[in-house]
Amino acid sequence: MIRRHTQSAIFMHWFNAFCWIFLLFSGFALLSGDMQPIDQWWQDLWQGIFGQRGLLVAHLAVGTIWCLVYALYIVFCARSDVLPFLREITRFQGKSDLAWCVRKGLWLVLGPRRTRRLGINPVLPPQGFYNAGQKMVAVMAVLSSLGLVATGILMGYFSGDAAWAVSQTVLQWCLVLHFACAALMAILLPIHIYMAALAPGEGPALRSMLTGMVPLEHVREHNPLWYAELKASGRPESPVRDVSQPGQ
Amino acid sequence: MAHYIMAIDSERCMNCKACIIACQQRNHVPYGLARNWIRETACSTAPAGFRFQPGTCMHCDDPSCVRACPTAATWKDSDGSVKIDVSRCIGCGSCIKACPYHARFLNPQSGTADKCDYCQGSTPGEVPACVAVCPTHCRIFGDADDPGSEVAGVLATRKPIHVIPKNSGARPTLTYLDATTPEILPEGPTESRPVEAMRPMAKAVTWIGGLVLAALGGTFVRQLLWPSAREEEEPAANAAGHRASNRAREEGTAEDHRGQS
Repeated sequence: MIRRHTQSAIFMHWFNAFCWIFLLFSGFALLSGDMQPIDQWWQDLWQGIFGQRGLLVAHLAVGTIWCLVYALYIVFCARSDVLPFLREITRFQGKSDLAWCVRKGLWLVLGPRRTRRLGINPVLPPQGFYNAGQKMVAVMAVLSSLGLVATGILMGYFSGDAAWAVSQTVLQWCLVLHFACAALMAILLPIHIYMAALAPGEGPALRSMLTGMVPLEHVREHNPLWYAELKASGRPESPVRDVSQPGQ
Repeated sequence: MAHYIMAIDSERCMNCKACIIACQQRNHVPYGLARNWIRETACSTAPAGFRFQPGTCMHCDDPSCVRACPTAATWKDSDGSVKIDVSRCIGCGSCIKACPYHARFLNPQSGTADKCDYCQGSTPGEVPACVAVCPTHCRIFGDADDPGSEVAGVLATRKPIHVIPKNSGARPTLTYLDATTPEILPEGPTESRPVEAMRPMAKAVTWIGGLVLAALGGTFVRQLLWPSAREEEEPAANAAGHRASNRAREEGTAEDHRGQS
């Protein structure tokens, strides 16, 4: 076994998951009429639970807590978690990443036999610490988060009777951008959840989001480039040492 | 449930503006802003040289302001009035832009949209201030479903006129009696481009999100019943089988050779 996630990263992942899902669900429930992407029953359900004003207050409260906790995390775990994470998710490999996304999708949907019949080799290109799909979702999540935080703060705290309230036009554009960012993640999150929790062979990766540890064999199979890096640094041969080194 | 309607006999209006001031005072409307108005139209045949048309929120059926509000802070109530829940309003101004009568404004004190609510917010159960104060009784307000009410009487006996801005598609409930000037208002921009963009975006989310969920559901079932990994195991097992039989054959041939030699 080798450590893949630090305890703080695991906590932030699940904290993030709870906040994102709540904010997404409650945010969609705030929208009405033609702007409601699910249906009227969705709004009725959530407003039935929280009340009309309560839902807006809850959305704003959870959003604010999420922002504050993330701000603290970024400040205090910049070197151990945040910067390595940003470095890893931006290690793009152009063609190889694209090939991974296409082949993995076809492997899951059509299976290897039919994929070969299409003239496409289903063998996946070797991946690093994160695979191409994880990198894509992570980059989108970071960008969407920045958009959601900026527009959310403006709508929540720079509107209404605030002395520093921004103009109506700015608020209207904030609303659209906030919705666009949330909509993007509403589409990507189910894919991430399926690929991480339900797709075959991902059990060890899911368990590593609870324990932080992942079997070396799984790394060799799913993240050969990371495995090669570990091997080059002599780490796979001494897994016990890795357990005591959070952030590896 | 009552069905409130305001009827206006604009021929009686003498432009004293008592209705505007009474409304401002009762509803604490900030200085310089008003929930109602009196439109003046030059007319040589009128005694004062002008025709006056008192107005306020038209409390439309299927109101464009309600459709424009992204947070459902404004709605058409079952009593016929269009209401605003200021606690849900974020002051984005979409409804203000959407109203073809320009009956809404941003209240700088609350930072939210503001408009006529028949004084139900300030003095619930009482006649609106503009109706109570009008010296010529040109504004008539009440429950149109109550046959004994004055408003039901005038609506039944006099010609109703609804003033509609050009191409707005508005369906106002505020009714002018017999005649009013003007009968058609000029067209004005009523769309907030950013918020309008949210409608097709919401549709896109519905369809793309639905397709993604359906595809994931299908993939999940497929992997449950016919795992892709098994498809790869079969050729691998076959290849291993072939290799083993080839090896056995080769070994057999070699032994034959040894035996022959």
